[in-house]
Amino acid sequence: MIALAEKPKEALAEDILSKVSASRLNCFHSCRLKFYFRYVLKLAKPATGALHVGKAVHWALQQWSKARWYGQPLDSESIKPDFDIHWQSSQEKDPVAWEIDEEQKQKDKAWGLVDMYLRDTPIPVEEKPEAVEVSVETGLPNGLPRLVGVIDLVRPEGVVVDFKTSASTPLIAQAIHRNETQLTAYGILHREATGRDASGFELHHLIKTKIPKLVVTHVGALTDQREQKFLRQVESYVDGVEREDFVPAPSLACGSCEFFHECSMWSGGPQ
Amino acid sequence: MIKIITNYSKRLGLPGYSSHQFSISCETELTNVSDVAAESARLYETLQQSVDEQIQTTGFVPGSDYGNGNGHVEPINRLKTHAIKTNGNGEGWHCSDKQRGLIVKLIADHDLEDVAEEMSQEMFNSSVKDLNKLQASGLIERILEEHAGKRSNQRARNGSNRYSNGGTR
Repeated sequence: MIALAEKPKEALAEDILSKVSASRLNCFHSCRLKFYFRYVLKLAKPATGALHVGKAVHWALQQWSKARWYGQPLDSESIKPDFDIHWQSSQEKDPVAWEIDEEQKQKDKAWGLVDMYLRDTPIPVEEKPEAVEVSVETGLPNGLPRLVGVIDLVRPEGVVVDFKTSASTPLIAQAIHRNETQLTAYGILHREATGRDASGFELHHLIKTKIPKLVVTHVGALTDQREQKFLRQVESYVDGVEREDFVPAPSLACGSCEFFHECSMWSGGPQ
Repeated sequence: MIKIITNYSKRLGLPGYSSHQFSISCETELTNVSDVAAESARLYETLQQSVDEQIQTTGFVPGSDYGNGNGHVEPINRLKTHAIKTNGNGEGWHCSDKQRGLIVKLIADHDLEDVAEEMSQEMFNSSVKDLNKLQASGLIERILEEHAGKRSNQRARNGSNRYSNGGTR
């Protein structure tokens, strides 16, 4: 049996209820016990290979966008040496649980995605971003927690872009549905930071198939209905956290959950 | 003197992603500790009954056309009002007060008045004062990277292993 630490409600309120992000919301609404292990108990787990690949690809695209922004565009060749250094050094901070012989394969895969993106991207090399990897936050109405987030890229005319690495090609409708919470959060944050609505959103999926490919999904501007839905999700999140309602939601996703072991030992707490 | 403080609250879901909540708080004094259990039970029943009676009146509930220009748009308006209200500090700057303070400090500390203005024009075709929060964040990041010791990997090719961090999600 695992011991679930008792945490005073005041501490919970301060830690968890002061800020909310799309990641926290998605985690809470997919499995409350996973949320509890990750954000309340803060159980540390070594990063997975897939997570490291995703972060490394994000980092490389961030460098590429910044360079265009600063008027010093980079090509694939000039990013590669720094990518190699970053791949290694970022593991000093966040160790990765590699399986035997896995790391080089994953590194090649990650670089393959970056190389493909720089070749196939719909973004012209001379296009200047409005923002790159920017942290933003805003208050929400009705005493809800502050909303925080990091937007990958904002293209001219307020088009918010989010980069995704994925093992398989997403279906458009499902990709939009699965990312709705995140894009709505970004839309609200963009409006707060700029005083105007984002004109639309783009999901740039870098697919880890044998021959890497890019799938760009366009999503329309934020609607009032999506915002209402989002606020309702935040309200439900606040209610659940306040009540410490952290029950598991067994699903197919459990197979890849980092808290599988802890979850199987769970005995019904915390109370 | 013994004081009992009670509160009964109920939140119910409504159509159109709405909910409403009502709570009643009550403070009462007792002279005998043995009355606590009975008095608590009585208060609970009374408060619950009162809340249940009142919460049946739902007031405005959004219809299916809510937010499409035909209905009441209060919650969304509140968000938008907030955005407009906090975007600008009334002194010619359009970023937040905190960002303005940091930009002014960086410019002063590193003697960057012309440089910062050039960067702003290059990145946004705007004057520093005209930058919104999103843009100001980008300018600050660049000043920090290029003039204040925080270097991204791209600019630290000569052996440094420090990297810019996009923040936590």
